[in-house]
Amino acid sequence: MRIKSQLRYHLVPMAGAVVLLLAALAAYAVLTPQPAPIGIASTDVPFYRLPFGPDDSGADRLFWPSQLKSASGKFSDPARLPSAAECGYCHQQEFHEWAGSLHAIADRDLIYEATVDANTDSVRNPEQGRFCEGCHAPAEMLTGRVNRFVSVQPADALTEGVNCITCHTAIHAEPEKGNAAITLDYARAEKDQGGLKDGALLANPKAHRAAYAAPQTTALIKSADLCGACHIEIYDHSMSKAKTPQTAQSTFLEWANSPYAQQGITCQDCHMASDPAAQVMALRNGDIAKPQRYSHRFIGANHLLTDTGLGDTLDVLRGGALPGVDREMNQKTLNEQARQTAAFLRTAAGLELRKSEPQGGKLHLEIAVRNLGAGHNLPTGVNDQKHMWLDLTLTDAAGNVVYRSDGPDTSETVAWIEHFKDSKGQRIPDHLTFQTAEVVWLRRPIPAKGEDIATYDIPLNGQTGGNLHLKARLLYRVALPDLLYSNLRREIAIPAFALAELSADLTDIQP
Amino acid sequence: MRCTLLSLTPILLLAAQPGFAATESEGLAQVKAFTLEHNAALVANAQKMQGSAEAYAALVAAHGGDYKAAWEADGPKLAEAVTAMRDNWLAASNEYETIEGIVAGIPSTAKYDLILDAGNPGTEEEDVAEYDLTLPDGTVLSRPGSLFHSITEPLFWGTDATHIKLEADLNGDGKIGSGEALFDANLAVGAAKGMVDWSKALETDMAAWKPNRDDAFTAVVTMTPTVGDYFGEWKESQFLGGEGDAFVARSRLIDVLGIMGGCQRMYNSAISPVVGTDDAALDGSITKGFDELIALVSETHEREVAGNKFTSEEADALGSEAQDIAERIVAQVLQAAAKHGVDIKG
Repeated sequence: MRIKSQLRYHLVPMAGAVVLLLAALAAYAVLTPQPAPIGIASTDVPFYRLPFGPDDSGADRLFWPSQLKSASGKFSDPARLPSAAECGYCHQQEFHEWAGSLHAIADRDLIYEATVDANTDSVRNPEQGRFCEGCHAPAEMLTGRVNRFVSVQPADALTEGVNCITCHTAIHAEPEKGNAAITLDYARAEKDQGGLKDGALLANPKAHRAAYAAPQTTALIKSADLCGACHIEIYDHSMSKAKTPQTAQSTFLEWANSPYAQQGITCQDCHMASDPAAQVMALRNGDIAKPQRYSHRFIGANHLLTDTGLGDTLDVLRGGALPGVDREMNQKTLNEQARQTAAFLRTAAGLELRKSEPQGGKLHLEIAVRNLGAGHNLPTGVNDQKHMWLDLTLTDAAGNVVYRSDGPDTSETVAWIEHFKDSKGQRIPDHLTFQTAEVVWLRRPIPAKGEDIATYDIPLNGQTGGNLHLKARLLYRVALPDLLYSNLRREIAIPAFALAELSADLTDIQP
Repeated sequence: MRCTLLSLTPILLLAAQPGFAATESEGLAQVKAFTLEHNAALVANAQKMQGSAEAYAALVAAHGGDYKAAWEADGPKLAEAVTAMRDNWLAASNEYETIEGIVAGIPSTAKYDLILDAGNPGTEEEDVAEYDLTLPDGTVLSRPGSLFHSITEPLFWGTDATHIKLEADLNGDGKIGSGEALFDANLAVGAAKGMVDWSKALETDMAAWKPNRDDAFTAVVTMTPTVGDYFGEWKESQFLGGEGDAFVARSRLIDVLGIMGGCQRMYNSAISPVVGTDDAALDGSITKGFDELIALVSETHEREVAGNKFTSEEADALGSEAQDIAERIVAQVLQAAAKHGVDIKG
């Protein structure tokens, strides 16, 4: 009875408080600014040009001649895309690793930049550069910055090449199609950008997970398909002078047809292993266990853009400091990147002397060049630039050179390289894709676990017999000097990396 | 007091910057008047250059075209004529660089930029200066490249080896240094006359130009992003230890200042009155961007004048920084252009 009386007494003020609360909530809902809608229509990006026309269904081809797609069919607001440096605030180790990678500088590396400029200048059409930027600068593409007149503001996330949001918002990939046949859902990143931060995010990571670890994306980033979308490059009349499709890069297909693919060993298992060289050596010994931890270094074969011996020139070639990376961190991560790259390259190949015998006044040599550790062809990638060759030296017992093979650019040299040719059949040494009509291998590359026998018939020229010493090196170079000189106007000596070496004493050679 | 100071600040800033105008039409008229004023000075200096070249040619002709005999007989006069041609060249070039950002950006006058200053010879695939040059002896040079940087600069400063007639101690210091040479008088007179003719032709077309919003925006958005290319030319010039024949007379940074200054003038005078009417924040941001760009180039040039030796790497880094600023400016100018229904040509 007493309680009821008290309730009656407080009922009116309590009801008033409830009404006030509801009114305040309603006012808050009305007055709080609503987040801007996500996605920008192509017509809302001033002066964005579509020079290649619509597709067969009449739809705009926003990113053609690249195959890149935006999940929403719209552009993104650069101000709402998180940079890798922002992700690195929490994901420090991943950021540190990625900062040394080639993915991080995919759109900053000066050699690449100058080559795109040379290509677009040659056709006087900046929009054709979308073919290159689809893989190298997806954020620039999806914000509408690859255009003759660039009306979209730059942002840190757009300068980071293949960064966190590239892979972690991917929802679909078509590796056989290549040429950046990947669909990115940047809208998820934009939406999450306005969400919880720091401690609040840790307490409730559901939305962040939905943005970057949706099941579809998680499955894709474990799959070689994601890598294949950019590591297959096919030239046709849309972006080159080719009358029939010319395969310029087939790394994914090489892997797909290899024993590794059949064993379920993916790109990530080697290139994202925390110790890639050790992982490959384990594979070579039959241990197909997956890595304990995956790294974001994406270790590959580019020994030039990780060569810390270049000093400040390396920083310049890599396009300067990344957002959020200071000098000390840069040096530290590059040193590790260089170490891992060199160790990784040394696991790829081997040389074996299969035959050495005099034949008609000549020394007949057969040397097996073996692909021991690469899960794809050797060499692979864009092989008008990335090439390898055999360097052979034969000395007599006194140390005099009896024979020395030529450098990589002569027809006599055993070299694995492809030539880009223009419509007149002339070689293009500086990677002018848009002028390329044909891609021709001079010597076929060596498939995974395969080998190629290189033969030599070396005139003994009056050699009266005795002991000879053979030294062979399988050398690899990531680019031709012509590329740097033509496009960058720099004469930089591009070092050759010894993938494998062979040393053998040839006894009692009689002419 | 604080309020007074704050309200004065924008006025002081405006006063410190070139060419602000109250209205668009007034600003466009200012740009045209400014361009014509410097164009007239360009013509005058080109005429002086022609006079100096003719005096030089007369000295050589007096000795039957024998440069060695002419040097032995009239060495000091020939040296004086070469110095005069160089001085005239620098004065003419100064005038042109001041308006290049405007001339090259306006579609109806852009061809003069290729002919006078920026065009390649016909042997190149792009940006060819489409004109032929007739020399006094009747020789016609087909598409020989720009008058300033392809022909006269390498000729007067002795880096065009094919037209050197006699190495000579022009400065009288007892030794023949780099670029000290007598050069082909026929080419010197022909090129100087070409400079006069084409500068006058530019003047005629510039006088006929009807200033308009589309051209003003087009000039700014096409010329401002070229800043990175100029830094590249600076890097490759002999000022930074390169081997290029062009840009030997003075640092390319001076040209960059002139060209970007022209873009800034066009914005401040002709575009700012348009943008500022409905988006003061955007206008302020663009104005600040131009100030930053000019400051970066000025500071770099001041360091160069003070004796700082830049490496190629430093030149690249500075060029990247300038390009970043330029891209931010242009993105904003294009947004304003879209808002005002401007047709960007090119």
